[in-house]
Amino acid sequence: MHPNELAANRFAQRVTEQLSVGASELPYDITERLRASRMQALARRKKTAIQVRTAPALVTAGNSAVLGKGDGGTHWWQSLLTALPIMALLAGLVVINLDLDEAGTLEVAQVDAALLADDLPPSAYADPGFVQFLKLGGAQPH
Amino acid sequence: MATEKELSDFLQSVEKRAFKRSLYHVRNEESALDIVQDSMMRLAEHYGDKPVNELPMLFHRILSNCTLDWFRRQKTHNALFSHMSDFEGSGDEDFDLLEAWSGPEGGESAQSAEDLVRRGQTLRDIELEIQELPPRQREAFLMRYWEEMDVAETAAAMGCSEGSVKTHCFRAIQSLSKALRAKGINL
Repeated sequence: MHPNELAANRFAQRVTEQLSVGASELPYDITERLRASRMQALARRKKTAIQVRTAPALVTAGNSAVLGKGDGGTHWWQSLLTALPIMALLAGLVVINLDLDEAGTLEVAQVDAALLADDLPPSAYADPGFVQFLKLGGAQPH
Repeated sequence: MATEKELSDFLQSVEKRAFKRSLYHVRNEESALDIVQDSMMRLAEHYGDKPVNELPMLFHRILSNCTLDWFRRQKTHNALFSHMSDFEGSGDEDFDLLEAWSGPEGGESAQSAEDLVRRGQTLRDIELEIQELPPRQREAFLMRYWEEMDVAETAAAMGCSEGSVKTHCFRAIQSLSKALRAKGINL
């Protein structure tokens, strides 16, 4: 290094040493306000970090609303984990639907079986004379 | 990625110097505190997840931008020139006061008090001369020697070439050396 450059560096170091002394002797209220500013900045960072890890959320666009994923967590297994509850819900709905269908079919089959197994033919229920007969008490046992 | 503790430690290590640097520029404690707070917020909010070794350059760049924003808001030229005239007036007053302090008193305690006052006066003189430097020279000098950034880092933070940084630093040292010698301060 050139001697002039060395001398300049030494001079600059001595100047900044003095400046450091001045910076270390700041009044209490200034240092406290700097500390408070630092705390606020760190709190702001936390808030940002939480937003970055946002889970899939409802995203509105115009008049429509869709499910969109957050900015962070782009691994496929994270997406899979997020989709699991939805898949479980869909599977539950399918099972309930099948169960209801089966129960309804069984009920209708039982009624049909009772009608077919009865002594009275099913066509009798469509006969107006038979209805009149029932009203007049024709069904009473003799 | 910097952890919260690393970011906190970094901010703690630079906050006092950042305040003084802003103060040299804007010459108003409240404004300097606002600028430092704004810079810390921006760093934490936008660059809090950057590697810890990138934080110094980013912070000093943000601090410079925040200071520029402040000047823009204050109608740059008017604010600058009015503060320069304020500075000249207050410098003279301080000098007269200290002339009175170094009076004909003797004794060891008086001597140490005199030393203390002289050191304080030297520091004030240096700070005033730093304030007198053109903004770009002051910025380059403080980043390069006070923040101990190398030429490339300083150039990146200032948004100029490395040659410009060297020129700014050289001229700043020349001006400071001449001004301090004129005041009888030999470092």
